[in-house]
Amino acid sequence: MTGIRLDAVTKRFGDAVVVRELTVALQQGELVALLGPSGCGKTTTLRMIAGFEYPTHGSIYLGDRNITTAAPEQRNCGMVFQNYALFPHLTVEQNVAFGLEMRRIPRAETRRRVGEILERMGLAALKHRYPRQISGGQQQRTALARALVTNPGALLLDEPLANLDAALREEMRFYIRSLQQEFRITTLYVTHDQSEALVLADRIAVLMNGVLQQFGTPLDVYHHPQTAAVASFTGLTNLLPACIERRSGDQYLLATRAGPLLAGGPPGLAAGAEVLLSLRPENLQLHPSAVVTDGSGCNRLSGVVRERTFAGSFVDYRVEVAGDVLLRVQAATGVSCQAGETVFVAISPPAAWVVPRGSV
Amino acid sequence: MRPALGRHLLIVPLLTVLSVFFVVPYANMVAISLMEASHRAAYVPVFTISNYTSLIESGFTWGVIWHTLWLGALTTAICLLISYPVAWQMARANSRTRAALMILVIAPLLVGVLIRTYGWMILLQDSGIINQLLRAMGFAPLHLMYNDTGVVIGLTHVFIPFMVLPIASTIQSIDPELELAARNLGAGPWRSFRRVVLPLSLPGVMAGTVLVFVLAVSSYVIPQLLGGFTVLTVPVLVIHTISELFNWPGGSAFAVLFFVITALVIWFYLRTIGRVTHAG
Amino acid sequence: MQARRLERVGFNVVTTAIYAFLLAPLVIVVLSALNAGTYLRFPPQGVSVRWFVEFAHSRSFMDSLGFSLRLAAIVTVVATILGTMASLWLTRVSGRFRSALQVLIIAPLAVPGILTGIALLLFFYTLGWRQTGLADLIIGHTLICVPYVVLIVGAVLARQDKTLVEAARNLGAGPLRTFWRVTLPLSKGGIICGAVFAFVTSYDDFNISLLLSGVGATPLPIQLFDYLRFSFDPTPAVAGTISIAITALVVLLVQRLIGLDALYFGKK
Repeated sequence: MTGIRLDAVTKRFGDAVVVRELTVALQQGELVALLGPSGCGKTTTLRMIAGFEYPTHGSIYLGDRNITTAAPEQRNCGMVFQNYALFPHLTVEQNVAFGLEMRRIPRAETRRRVGEILERMGLAALKHRYPRQISGGQQQRTALARALVTNPGALLLDEPLANLDAALREEMRFYIRSLQQEFRITTLYVTHDQSEALVLADRIAVLMNGVLQQFGTPLDVYHHPQTAAVASFTGLTNLLPACIERRSGDQYLLATRAGPLLAGGPPGLAAGAEVLLSLRPENLQLHPSAVVTDGSGCNRLSGVVRERTFAGSFVDYRVEVAGDVLLRVQAATGVSCQAGETVFVAISPPAAWVVPRGSV
Repeated sequence: MRPALGRHLLIVPLLTVLSVFFVVPYANMVAISLMEASHRAAYVPVFTISNYTSLIESGFTWGVIWHTLWLGALTTAICLLISYPVAWQMARANSRTRAALMILVIAPLLVGVLIRTYGWMILLQDSGIINQLLRAMGFAPLHLMYNDTGVVIGLTHVFIPFMVLPIASTIQSIDPELELAARNLGAGPWRSFRRVVLPLSLPGVMAGTVLVFVLAVSSYVIPQLLGGFTVLTVPVLVIHTISELFNWPGGSAFAVLFFVITALVIWFYLRTIGRVTHAG
Repeated sequence: MQARRLERVGFNVVTTAIYAFLLAPLVIVVLSALNAGTYLRFPPQGVSVRWFVEFAHSRSFMDSLGFSLRLAAIVTVVATILGTMASLWLTRVSGRFRSALQVLIIAPLAVPGILTGIALLLFFYTLGWRQTGLADLIIGHTLICVPYVVLIVGAVLARQDKTLVEAARNLGAGPLRTFWRVTLPLSKGGIICGAVFAFVTSYDDFNISLLLSGVGATPLPIQLFDYLRFSFDPTPAVAGTISIAITALVVLLVQRLIGLDALYFGKK
C-alpha cells in the first residue's frame, strides 16, 4: 500500500522549470527525506502535495486518492511549516484544536483528543498560553501536535528544525522520528541538511535543480551515490577522474592519474568509460611509511602530507599522491603524521565507489 | 493556491461604485463643458467649444489662474521650509517620540479644514489675538486677513502634515550609517547633512511639494474665509460660476481647463527637478 | 562641543515653535468656546459655558450636528465594507489590472474635492435627480473615505504572516472559514482604524458637501461655513471643540490599536 505517490510531476513558473518529471513513491508509514540544496525544488514539491501550488503536469496520489487538483482543505495532509505558522490570536489548546473544529468533531471529543496529545507531547501546562509566550522548541511541538491530532493520511514537514539552535535540533530530530514511528504515519521531510536526512530517514530522495538524482536508503545514498552531485552533497568526498579498464569480479579496475585502483560501482559500466571515483576522506587510511601493511586487495598510494589541521574528533590531512592529485583524508587522532612526511594512503576497494561522469 | 474566480467578487462592488459614480460623472462633466450654456436650463445639449474659447480669450481668467498658481507656489515654498526641519526631527527620533510627534502632526488633519481656518480667523483678524498682542506691546497692527497674506498663512498651516510625512518617510529610509561614513571621512554635521541626507531626501521633497501644491491651488474654504471677497482663486470663481451664476458649462470648462493647466505645471516641474537631480 | 549643544537646542526651539504654529488655531478655538465674552480678548476675560448652551439651543446647528453624525455613520459602514473587500482582493492578485485599480481607488483623494463634488452634482442632475440630499452625500463621501480604509487595512494585511492562511487551509478550513477565523480576527485593529478614519473624513468633509448638500441635508461644516460668512460669535467654536475632542479620542485609539509610527514608517 502506498502512502504518497508522485507521477511525473512537473512544475513550471514562467520559463523556469522548478520540478522536472518527478516520480517517487513513499510506502505507507515510512519517513522519506527530500534532500537538496536551496532552490532545488523540494519546497515546491512539498507545497504541491499540500495543495498550495498545482503541478503543470503529472499527478499526485495520497493512498488511492488522486489529489492533484483537490483544494488544500480537502487533502488531509498535516503540514508543519518552517516558521510553524501558529495562530497568534489563539492559545496553544485552540491552535491544536483548530483542525478538529474544521472537521466538525464534537466539542467533547475535540477536547479529549487535544488533551491527550498535549499530554503526550509535554505541552499540557502551556494549554492556555499564546504562541508568543512559549519557547521555540515548544512552538515546534505545538505545530506538530496541531498537525498530528487530526490523524492525517500523511505528514509534511518543511525544514522543521531550521529555526532551532544546534542542541535543540539534535534533541528534536529524535523526538520527531520516534513520534513518526509511533503514529506510523507516512512522512515527507524536506531538508537541506544531509546529516539530518541520513539520521532520520528510512529513505532519501535527493533532488537537484528539480531533477531526482537518487532515491534510496541512507546507506545506499551515502556509500553508493549514483551521481557526482549526490556524492558531494551527502558528505565530503574526493572525486578522482578515472577510466574503466575492465571488470574484476564484482569490482572495477580503473586507471587514474594517481595509478591503477580497484573500486566498487554500479553494474553494467563498459570498459573504456570515463568515470569519477568517489573516495570519502574517512574511508582513506593513513599509514606512516615505516609501517608495512599486508596490502592484499587494498589500494595503496604513496604520497606526501601537504597540510595538517586539527579538527577536534579527527585530524584533516591533505596528501599529495602520484600525478599531482591532492587527496583529503580524515584520520582518527591516534594516527599522527606531520606535514612534509611521506605516507601511504590506503582504501579498501568496496569503500571506493565509481560514479558515472557527466550525470546531471 | 488555484485561483478561484470567485475571489474576484470581492472587488466588484467597489469597482462598480467607482465606475458609475466617479469615472462617469467626470466624463459627464467634460461633456457638459462642451455644451452651450443657457438661462432656462442647466445646459443645452448642443456641442460647442465656446466655453473654452471665451475663457482663454479673457484676460481676467488668466489673471485669476496666474494668481492661484502663484499663491500655490508661495504656499508650497514656505510650507517646505517650515516642514523640513520637523520632518528631519521626526525621522531621526526614537520610536516612542516619533509616535508622539506623528500624533501632533496628524491630529490637526483630523479636526477638519473649516475648524482650523476658523481658528486662524480669530487669530488674524484686525481685532484678533495677534493684533491685540501687538498693540499691547506697542507695535502697529498688521493687516493679516482678507488678503493674500492671510490666505497663504492658512494654506501653509493646513498642509504642513502633507509635506512633513512624505519627507520624514524618505529621510527615515536613509541608512544612518551613511552620515556616519561622511563624518568619518571628515565632513562636519552640517556638511554631511547637505551632501548626504539632503540629496537623498529629494524624492520625499518632490512628493510633498507636488501634493501640497495641488491641494493649495484646489482649496476653496481658505481663500473664501480668510480672503473674504477680495482674494479670487480659481476654485472660488468656479463655485461662484456654478452655484450662483448657474453657468454649468462655463464652470465645468473652467474647472477642466485649470485641472489641465495644473497637471502641465506639475509635469514640467517634475521633469525639471528630475533633470537637475540626475545631473547633480 | 558647546557649539554643537547650542546648535541642537536652537534646532529644537525652532521645531517646537513650528509645532506651536501647527497647534495654535486648535488651542484658540477651544479657548474661544470657553470664553466668557463674545470676542476672544487678550488678556482673557473669564471662563464660561454659555456658548455651549447657545450651541445646544441652536436648531440649525443641532440639526446639522445630528445629520453629520448620521451621515458619517452610514458612510463608515459602507466604506469599511467596500474598502475591506477591496483590500483583501488587492492582497490576493497581482498584475497590471491590480495596479490600475489601485490608482482608481486612490484617485478621489488625488483630484480636488470640489471637482468631484461638481462632477457628481452635474451627474445627478443629468440622471434626473433634481433634489440633492442624503443619498448623494453618502455616495460622494464614500468615494473619498474608501481610500483611507483600503490604505490602512492594506498596510495591516501586508504585515500579516502569509503562512497563517496556508496553515488554516491545510487544517481543513475553506476560504470563507479561513477569512472568518484567521484573517479577520488578526486584521481587526486595521479595520477599526480604517473605519474611524472614514468616520472622521466624512464628518469633516467640506468640499464635496458644499455642492451636494441640500435643504434638510446640511452637514455641520457647511452650516458653520454659512454662519461664518456673516456672523462672528464663538458658537462655531463649540462645534470646533467637539471636533477636537473627537479627534483626540480617535488618535489615541488608533495609536493603541495599530501603532501609527510602526504602520507608516515600518518596524525598526
